[in-house]
Amino acid sequence: MDSKLFPEGTQRCSFGQFLIWLAVILGFFGWGLYAAVLVLYNGIGTTGLDNYFGFGAWITFDLAVIALGAGAFFTGLLKYILKIKQLEKIINLTVIVGFICYSGAMLVLTLDIGQPGRAWFGYWHPNVHSMLTEVIFCITCYCTVLIIEFVPLVLEQKQLNKIPFIHALAHNMHINMALFAGLGAFLSTFHQGSLGGMYGVLIGRPYAFREGFFIWPWTFFLFVLSAVGSGPVFTVLVATFMEKLTGKKLVDFKTKALMGKIAGSMLCVYMFFKILDTWAWATGYLPSVGLTFDQMFYGVAYGKWLMWAELGLCGVVPAIMLVTPSIRNNPALLYTAALLDCFGICINRYVFTVQTIAFPAMPFDSWQVYYPNWVEYASSIMIVAYGFLVLSLSYRYLPVFPLETKLNYQSGE
Amino acid sequence: MSVARRAFIQMSVGATVGILFTPTVWTALDDVSIWTQNWPWIPTLKYGETASVPTVSKMCESGCAVKVRTVAGTAFGTEGNVDNPLSGGGICPLCANGVQTMYSPNRIKAPMLAGKEISWDEARTVVAEKLAAAGSKVAVISGDQTGTINEVFSALLASKGSDAFYAMPCEMQAADKAWTGLMGGSGQVGYDLENADAVLLAGADALESWGPTVANLKAFAANKSGKFIFAGPVQTRTAAVTSKWVPVPTEGMAAFTLGICYYVMQAGKSVPAADFEQFKAMVMSGYTPAKVEAATGVKADVMADVAKTLLAANNPVVVPAGSVAGAAAAFALNLLLGGAMTVLPEFGKAVDGAMSRSDMLQKDILQGVDADVLFIYEANPMYALPEQIKAGFTVAFDSLNTETTAAADLVLPTPHSFERFEDLASPYGVAAASYSLGAPISKPTVNAMSAGDFVLGLADLGFETFEEVVDAKVAAIGADKDELVGGAAYVLEETPDMSGVTLAASVLGKAAVPVKGTGAVALAPYTLLNVGTANQATTPNAPCTISNNQLIGDSMVVMMASVTAKKLGVGVGSKVKLSGGSGDCEALVQIYEGVLPGVVAAPLGMGHTVGDEFSKGKGDNVYKILTVSSEAATGTSTWAGSTVNVAKI
Amino acid sequence: MQTKEFKIKWGMVIDIDKCTGCGACMVGCQVENNIAPMTKKDPYNYVQALTTDRDDAANKLRTLTWLTVYELSNGKTFPEHEVAYLPRPCMQCGNPACVPVCPVIATDKNEEGGIVSQIYPRCIGCRYCMAACPYHARYFNWWDPLWPEGMDKGLCPNASPRPRGVVEKCSFCHSRYLKAKDKVRAEGGDPMNLPDGAYTTACADICPTKAITFGDLNNPEHKVHDLAKSKNAFRLLEKLGLAPQVYYMSEREWVRKQGDNYNGNGGHGAPATNHG
Repeated sequence: MDSKLFPEGTQRCSFGQFLIWLAVILGFFGWGLYAAVLVLYNGIGTTGLDNYFGFGAWITFDLAVIALGAGAFFTGLLKYILKIKQLEKIINLTVIVGFICYSGAMLVLTLDIGQPGRAWFGYWHPNVHSMLTEVIFCITCYCTVLIIEFVPLVLEQKQLNKIPFIHALAHNMHINMALFAGLGAFLSTFHQGSLGGMYGVLIGRPYAFREGFFIWPWTFFLFVLSAVGSGPVFTVLVATFMEKLTGKKLVDFKTKALMGKIAGSMLCVYMFFKILDTWAWATGYLPSVGLTFDQMFYGVAYGKWLMWAELGLCGVVPAIMLVTPSIRNNPALLYTAALLDCFGICINRYVFTVQTIAFPAMPFDSWQVYYPNWVEYASSIMIVAYGFLVLSLSYRYLPVFPLETKLNYQSGE
Repeated sequence: MSVARRAFIQMSVGATVGILFTPTVWTALDDVSIWTQNWPWIPTLKYGETASVPTVSKMCESGCAVKVRTVAGTAFGTEGNVDNPLSGGGICPLCANGVQTMYSPNRIKAPMLAGKEISWDEARTVVAEKLAAAGSKVAVISGDQTGTINEVFSALLASKGSDAFYAMPCEMQAADKAWTGLMGGSGQVGYDLENADAVLLAGADALESWGPTVANLKAFAANKSGKFIFAGPVQTRTAAVTSKWVPVPTEGMAAFTLGICYYVMQAGKSVPAADFEQFKAMVMSGYTPAKVEAATGVKADVMADVAKTLLAANNPVVVPAGSVAGAAAAFALNLLLGGAMTVLPEFGKAVDGAMSRSDMLQKDILQGVDADVLFIYEANPMYALPEQIKAGFTVAFDSLNTETTAAADLVLPTPHSFERFEDLASPYGVAAASYSLGAPISKPTVNAMSAGDFVLGLADLGFETFEEVVDAKVAAIGADKDELVGGAAYVLEETPDMSGVTLAASVLGKAAVPVKGTGAVALAPYTLLNVGTANQATTPNAPCTISNNQLIGDSMVVMMASVTAKKLGVGVGSKVKLSGGSGDCEALVQIYEGVLPGVVAAPLGMGHTVGDEFSKGKGDNVYKILTVSSEAATGTSTWAGSTVNVAKI
Repeated sequence: MQTKEFKIKWGMVIDIDKCTGCGACMVGCQVENNIAPMTKKDPYNYVQALTTDRDDAANKLRTLTWLTVYELSNGKTFPEHEVAYLPRPCMQCGNPACVPVCPVIATDKNEEGGIVSQIYPRCIGCRYCMAACPYHARYFNWWDPLWPEGMDKGLCPNASPRPRGVVEKCSFCHSRYLKAKDKVRAEGGDPMNLPDGAYTTACADICPTKAITFGDLNNPEHKVHDLAKSKNAFRLLEKLGLAPQVYYMSEREWVRKQGDNYNGNGGHGAPATNHG
């Protein structure tokens, strides 16, 4: 029915099947939308957040997706600036994933602030000393860049591209994409860093506070590194997931392994500094403010197991796996390493967001445990559903995977 | 085609740029920011001249001397009255919320007969008929301890040939029964906490809820000695600031006090009382430190230490709480020490035929009230002691809906303290007799009438209005009304004759023996003013001040030491049922090491079934599990020695 | 990161040895600053029915208590147990953690006696300042401020009610400062040199034991000037370097020790304490 819209030389499931699939996604989306409407109409009181946990599931979710969406800027940087040709086989997907992650994060932030009508005050009354101002600037600008990067892909849609003007526009945009990739890399690096900086500057929160370089605390750099150490393999995971779902080969394994190598190298650098940073924090900073390492942890929600999982199982282990060619080149092991890597980064974002504020700085205060409620889950799931929706539509109608025809339809058939 | 498309794009871009040059977007953004702070349901403020008008507030038991803050004539808050010795600038958490309570939707709006709104004339007719039929079977329960309104009520009783005037159980009553009853004294006992150089609070939670709390706190802050000792089963808010906490079970307080008398008399102290030798012999044989230790668990050297502190002081004072025996023992100790216990004379009466304060305290409400017509004035006996009240026809005067007004046949709304003439004479515990007066600050917001005015319309007591009664009271005292209304208190430094006072040796010897119930653990009920009192429920702004040691969610919290919890097989957060008296309560367990082992501490004043959402359904009513026992020797009833069984649910 | 210094530095010295935790200060604070009693129902919002009720004061993590009283325990068992109460207003830090993080300059520490301000119409409600403040002195307005019917008639003229969705905090009753200055100016005095007591906060005013002393820490004629320097005075979390303008004092060493962290035994062994 809609086969004329499919990318050149590809096959897609029947329109009916696709509609059912969309209905499932929209079901989840609708549930989240209901939660979002409640939040906007009744206020954030409907969530599980409270005065001890001003930041919670939403901010963790935001930080995690932004870190995982970092595949876009870093791959773009490598492809357009450093000219690594191989990456063009996956670059479209990284852009889409990046776009989903950033636009999704912005949607969540709109819900998260108490006065969405004043969201633009970040531009109108900016406090240049606040890391969050930097985040607001970069995240909105970079989202625009991602849209600009996404547009040519949309324009390349088979039917649209038949229109000469659009064809020319898409072509011109492609030619200039290096500029946007560069701009995107700059913006994204900064705000990945600012997100880390947001926590590192909290002088009143010993769990997160870090010394640093010039105005940037060490967390600034660590967040950049951890994002580039995980974003690329997240894209690989998304591609692989899509392959499992569609039953087609979409990206050649060589490219995936290259992405794994890139992420693995960055992860190694990250883990080196992260462990150094943790060591310095535990043995230098904490004692200097009268605290001990043990005091930073509590129960299951804020236990040491999270730290060991983050640094060991989901840090050092995938880093070694990804930089070791023999392991990396085994698909199952590559995906395992990629999953561990992504989990590790999510744990990192969770502990920095939640454990930071859960630690009772005042000795007479006590640990509180934060539980998100359904409103927060549902609205986060809405963003995931939104991601599925964008990916499904893109996959069905846009030429996302340059190798798709070659890998699926031209090999001996 | 291509031209049209280009034109379309050009138009789109042009329109976008064009709109940005018009004020549309910017005005819209500006409107949004204004809109985000002006919602119709967010009230706007009233501005105007501000003033502070002195008056008295009767929300706490003793009453506070306050100033009501007004803006453009509308009351909005309260603050302390520096000129009044009861305040010194501070107020209690209940009276701090006085104005908010005045505006509360929980106010009774009009006279109600059996749930139906009636006029004041109808109300008067109904009551007059009932009174005529009742003869002398008329009774009054008053929740006011210090007001001249009690004279009006007691005079009404007298005119009907009744003496059934009941006070809600209070410390003043126990003290009066000990002092004027057992010991033959006259006047009202007071304690000069400010000038004492050693203070033993024998059960009196004087810095939180006992007596004239704010005056006590002020005296504590001004006291230079800093030697305050609190004895009691729970490390209360008072014990948080006293220099020492001596854990003593409630029922052992009288014996503990006599144990200290032992050391004091051993040190050679004596009193020229007729029964001194008998008292001495009784203590020296029956209340030796070893015997007291055996009976109460308080170590002899602890008592010796307390006695030493008191003996070393020039002006020590002991402040009792709870039972009549405990009060008598403390008074005896004070007489031995010769320190800062004072005795206050009673002010002259305004209404002929009215009872004296001591007479008003004679009847024991715990032994039950039974009348054909019962007047309840700003008290909540149906909450605190529902089983004791029986009446053919109940008339409840109150400004707020309570369990008592809900159960009454006729409900008569009174103006709030700040809407009427209100006076406050020598609350129990103050060091010197004082009288404070407040004039109405605003008109009642509801169809209320002063209870005094209503009662004066029922019988000829010599006055038309309550204001005339107040004038007569001021005249009887010899004070100046304008000065009083201006915020100054009238203070009388005069001490009645104390000769003829005895030490109640014969009674005390038996009455001080600790008697405890049969439950598994002793119950230590305590009062926090932010939670409320027997008569005043939690106020609107108070709930967020109530800590997790009293209330978690809607569940009451009881506190116990870890050893007690271990013995009972419960832990932090365990849900338990406490059974005692004639009922049971549900509660959550909190471990608080400041509770004597074998004792469970529970907050009074929660678990209301009528009222607003700030108190209704919050926690459980501990009055249900208090055991009323009769102090055999003194012939009075007491809640001391209550025990409960604790079952995990 | 340097401590901001001003000619006038309004501060408090709170004597913990005089605080019984009665809660009068908290009630006085709410009345002065028009903090609405917490109610479950919102009569203006029909959608509320679709979800849970608003919070009442039972949820201590959702209350608006600019001033809150903490219970301190020495952590020992009976009979060595000791207890103390610590009222915690905003510390008005000299080096505030909250001010530099605000993305929209909705909070500032300036010449107004070093009081950390909060501009409610500008706050976007991101709560970053709350995450920054280790004293939990900042509160989010989770629900619209609604007074039970009739109670909105008697509002204090000193503080406009804040809409939901913004962060609010103790301002040392800033309107009282403005009024005190106006009054002194009208009387021909120097508003930059207010006499001791000309400007006090609602909590200091109402406290029955006068445990809270308020004044200009830089003015030798104000009581707080010397009290803040007394040997038993301390500040909360001194080691973190936020330089609060609120001082505490206690003769009890264990209380002073709980004001800050000391490696390993910083009081975390104490059983759960309660706030509110």
